[in-house]
Amino acid sequence: MLASHSYPKSSVQNLILAGLLAILSVLAIVSLSLGAFPIPLAQVGEVILNGLGFPGIEVDHQQVNVLFQIRLPRIILATVIGGGLGVAGAALQGMFRNPLVEPGLIGVSSGSALFAVLYLVVISGAAGFWKTLSAVGLPLFAFIGGLLHVLAVYRLSRSQGKTETATLILAGVAINALAGALIGLTLFYADDAALRSFTFWSLGDLGGASWSKIPAAVLLILFPSMLLFKDHKILNALALGEHEAFHMGVNVKQIKLKLLIITALIVGVGVSLVGMIGFIGLIVPHLIRICFGADHRMVLPGAFLLGSILMNVADLIARMIVMPAEMPIGVVSALIGAPFFIWLIFNLNTSKR
Amino acid sequence: MLQANQIHFCIQKRPVVDQISLTLQAGEILAILGPNGAGKSTLFKILSGEISCKHGQVGYNGHPLEKLNSRQLAQVRAVMPQHTAVNFPFSAQEVVELGLFSTQSKNPSLLVREVMEATKTLHLKDTNFQNLSGGEKQRVQLARVLVQIWEQKPFPRYLLLDEPTSSLDIAQQHGVLSILRGLTKRNIGVLIILHELNLAAQYADRIALLKGGMISQCGPVSEVLQEEALHRVFDYPIQIIQHPVHGGLILSTNQPSFQTIKQSKQAYYGNSF
Repeated sequence: MLASHSYPKSSVQNLILAGLLAILSVLAIVSLSLGAFPIPLAQVGEVILNGLGFPGIEVDHQQVNVLFQIRLPRIILATVIGGGLGVAGAALQGMFRNPLVEPGLIGVSSGSALFAVLYLVVISGAAGFWKTLSAVGLPLFAFIGGLLHVLAVYRLSRSQGKTETATLILAGVAINALAGALIGLTLFYADDAALRSFTFWSLGDLGGASWSKIPAAVLLILFPSMLLFKDHKILNALALGEHEAFHMGVNVKQIKLKLLIITALIVGVGVSLVGMIGFIGLIVPHLIRICFGADHRMVLPGAFLLGSILMNVADLIARMIVMPAEMPIGVVSALIGAPFFIWLIFNLNTSKR
Repeated sequence: MLQANQIHFCIQKRPVVDQISLTLQAGEILAILGPNGAGKSTLFKILSGEISCKHGQVGYNGHPLEKLNSRQLAQVRAVMPQHTAVNFPFSAQEVVELGLFSTQSKNPSLLVREVMEATKTLHLKDTNFQNLSGGEKQRVQLARVLVQIWEQKPFPRYLLLDEPTSSLDIAQQHGVLSILRGLTKRNIGVLIILHELNLAAQYADRIALLKGGMISQCGPVSEVLQEEALHRVFDYPIQIIQHPVHGGLILSTNQPSFQTIKQSKQAYYGNSF
């Protein structure tokens, strides 16, 4: 935790958030220059200045295309979705009062993936009305799937007004297994194209990023994430328990429903855009809490920024490691995330903080 | 006035709270005493609004409990449950600050500081709550609950506490009860579940004896604390003695102490064995 108690807590928190934002910006610029088609940083700067309308700067058209049509939307998407996963993880952990909860673990991601696959195989295959809805239909289905699953897991793990941790995780495992089986069953009836997209859903892929995906990401992930930031006091109160929060004046039932819907929206839309990407929602809130304390005023925006940073790092690695091909980003995030998580469990057990 | 009228609550068809009516006036301390399983905590949860009760009514200052939303309820009463676990690494001060949630304090940092001083938790403020001892945790939680009703308000308010002194040493027990005594001067009524009979005798205005989900006796301390009634409620012989100096009641068991048994045996057998 922080040692600098002489300063007001909120200004220290703002300073940390500004620092994270600075790291993210630097990372984004570095990420613009690196890839299968490397563009030196100086030229990245020139292209950006040219794009902003500064006169007298000569730029290469191929570089402009790579930067604006491929890399920039990809970085924006990684930033928004990584941040969304981070803040959704933080909100779910706060709500369930359990640091082990993750959108993937309790079935949001797999629920979204199942409904997305169902949509692709069953509905978008059919012509007509649904076909025209495809821009809205896919995120919508993913959102509904995620919401249904998280409600099911939540309902299963409740008894006598308490959420049992063990039951919660078991319910998540059960629902995940069911969703996995149903995805497999759906794919059995799918054509080749849908089959290929299964890898996409299960491992995540930012390769399909384009400007057409940005509006959905901003509208349905970035804004809802910012809505969550405002609930920091309520999430702090919930950390003491639902009854205690009620005694302190929180409308527990209403806020839980709100949190479930918003997190399902963030994760569901994220899955519909780039597939399932694990571990970000689990690790990021942990890291923030360990470094900067448990106050959700810090944890929520901090988890957003750190989620964005981690997602961009993972994407950079995914792009660089097998050039000119690309690794699915889910493989990278799991390769970083799983050992880190093991280290975390080990450390938590030895230090018992 | 906090008023409960004929509340009745069953768990698996067994009445845990059986047609209980009671009142709590602002400015008094009402202690609830009774053996384990008497229904104290269930009664407590019904009064605080944590569990809703189909039979009977609970009202705060004349407003029925079910008509008040959680925010309005938090304005008129604060609750300290028996156990509160904190799963995240909050500092003690952050836990106390949670009590500010429904207050519209003009100077929240001063309020938190004042309450932490009163509960002797100020020196713990930057410590991780999870690393505190049982007694320290209990005092920090008490501070959090007190923050909610510490500032003066023009209407009567209530504080409900379920065994707030269970992990405290004797000095701290009296410290806490003195704070509660002081609250009664701020137009606050205190309802407290206690196991320590002597604390109740010393600090309460009225006592309610609970057994088998029913109130067997309720009234001023000197009326309720009768040897026979206590014996019946606790199924154990209890003796009441007057303090030689201030005249207050001291409750003790009727059994001879272990020390005196040993001494009398020694006198009888000598020191030979």
